[in-house]
Amino acid sequence: MEHSSLSLQELNALVRKSVRACLPGPYWVQAELSEVRANYSGHCYLEFVQKDPHSNALLAKARGIVWGNVYARIRPFFEKETGQAFGPGIKVLVQVTPDFHELYGYSLTVTDIDPAYTLGDMARRRREILRRLEEEGVLTLNKELEMPEFVQRIAVISSETAAGYGDFCNQLLHNPFGFQFYVRLFPAVMQGDRVETSVISALDAVNAQLDCWDVVVIIRGGGAVSDLAGFDTYHLAANCAQFPLPVITGIGHERDDTVLDLVAHTRVKTPTAAAEYLIARQQQAARHLEDCADSLVREVPLLLEKQKELLDKWLVRIPTKVLMNLKNASAFLDKLQSKLYGNCRALIIREEYRLRVHARLSAALAVCMQREVHRLALMEQQVKAASPQHLLERGYSLTLKDGKAVTDASMLRPGDELTTRVAKGEFKSKVL
Amino acid sequence: MAAKKETYTEAVRKLEAIVGRIERNELDIDELGDNLKEAQRLIKFCREKLYKADNEIKKMLGTDENMEKSSN
Repeated sequence: MEHSSLSLQELNALVRKSVRACLPGPYWVQAELSEVRANYSGHCYLEFVQKDPHSNALLAKARGIVWGNVYARIRPFFEKETGQAFGPGIKVLVQVTPDFHELYGYSLTVTDIDPAYTLGDMARRRREILRRLEEEGVLTLNKELEMPEFVQRIAVISSETAAGYGDFCNQLLHNPFGFQFYVRLFPAVMQGDRVETSVISALDAVNAQLDCWDVVVIIRGGGAVSDLAGFDTYHLAANCAQFPLPVITGIGHERDDTVLDLVAHTRVKTPTAAAEYLIARQQQAARHLEDCADSLVREVPLLLEKQKELLDKWLVRIPTKVLMNLKNASAFLDKLQSKLYGNCRALIIREEYRLRVHARLSAALAVCMQREVHRLALMEQQVKAASPQHLLERGYSLTLKDGKAVTDASMLRPGDELTTRVAKGEFKSKVL
Repeated sequence: MAAKKETYTEAVRKLEAIVGRIERNELDIDELGDNLKEAQRLIKFCREKLYKADNEIKKMLGTDENMEKSSN
């Protein structure tokens, strides 16, 4: 029996036409990139897959192609918008036209891409990781670490060849303030799919000498925005979140923060910014130190000045007091002196008066005396004149009987012994 | 190595304490001399840590000699 047949090519051509006719497209398709290969011609050959969300088993697969001129347009556009390299592992939303080629089979020709979908997917994946880290209680651990006031010993995780690392070191070692920094590189791969394992082993190496370092800085040059997927993994983030030293990330991009950025203690945009941050911290420490020194320079003389003022005040009060005392004493002495003077003068005056009286008295007395003397002399004369002797010398005589003067002759009896006193001597006689 | 970190921070704390007491007038003239001397020592120590290279630390950390050489 003969069957009517087609050649393979004819059949394939039919399929091609059918596909063209039934599915003219273009269609926006969500898929995951499992292979991306650009060749020298500029065309990009892809493989799209769809995985079962729970089991990761493949549900659908298709080859894709992006012609050179289209690729040259959409790839930089995509990478700029997402900060993500156009490469395997990412979920994309692409505009495709299904094609069937007799020789090459089924493929999707890509004509456009919507980065928002990828961004959304990336964001979703990040949120997933963050939620998981939060559930495990490790999300904020690194942020809660205290960045020491004095940060000098810096463990850097970067690539030797990264321009960022060179600039970073240069800035630190030649900072305009002369701060001393100790920097050591712990090399790691900073792009591609080895980022996770490489950075984690670098972190382990730092962990082995934890006492030697103050911070960890993970940096990578800016330049082309590409391939930050490696920094969006759960394991890297978990490692960093639980790292015992504060981690600073400066992985040089303007896009949304990667998960690593979100769990790190401090996130800066570029390696240069990281260097500036560290220098600024030392500046703060230096300023704090100089403030203390300035305080001393300012306060100590003030303190001494205050003490000196106190002393001076006392010093001033002492002479015043002493002077006052002296003045009082002096015044007192003066008073005494004038009193004394006054009293003395009074005394002298009194004495003077007394002396004068005395003189007068003496004078009066002398006069009196004279008078008396006179009177006495007179009386003496009178007495003398009246004295018996005087009479006797005049010839009279005194006749005594028994010592008594005889004045009456009739009183005499014959035989009486009589004594007669004359001027010179006396003689006895008898009465006849 | 941990001793180094503590020493700078400790030094600054001690310095702050002395400055604080001077500002609040808690020191009398007798204590002032000794405290000032200690403060000056602490300041010198901290400044050295900030600005002077400690070769022992450099050796211990194996810091990037190449980088330093090339930058010089």
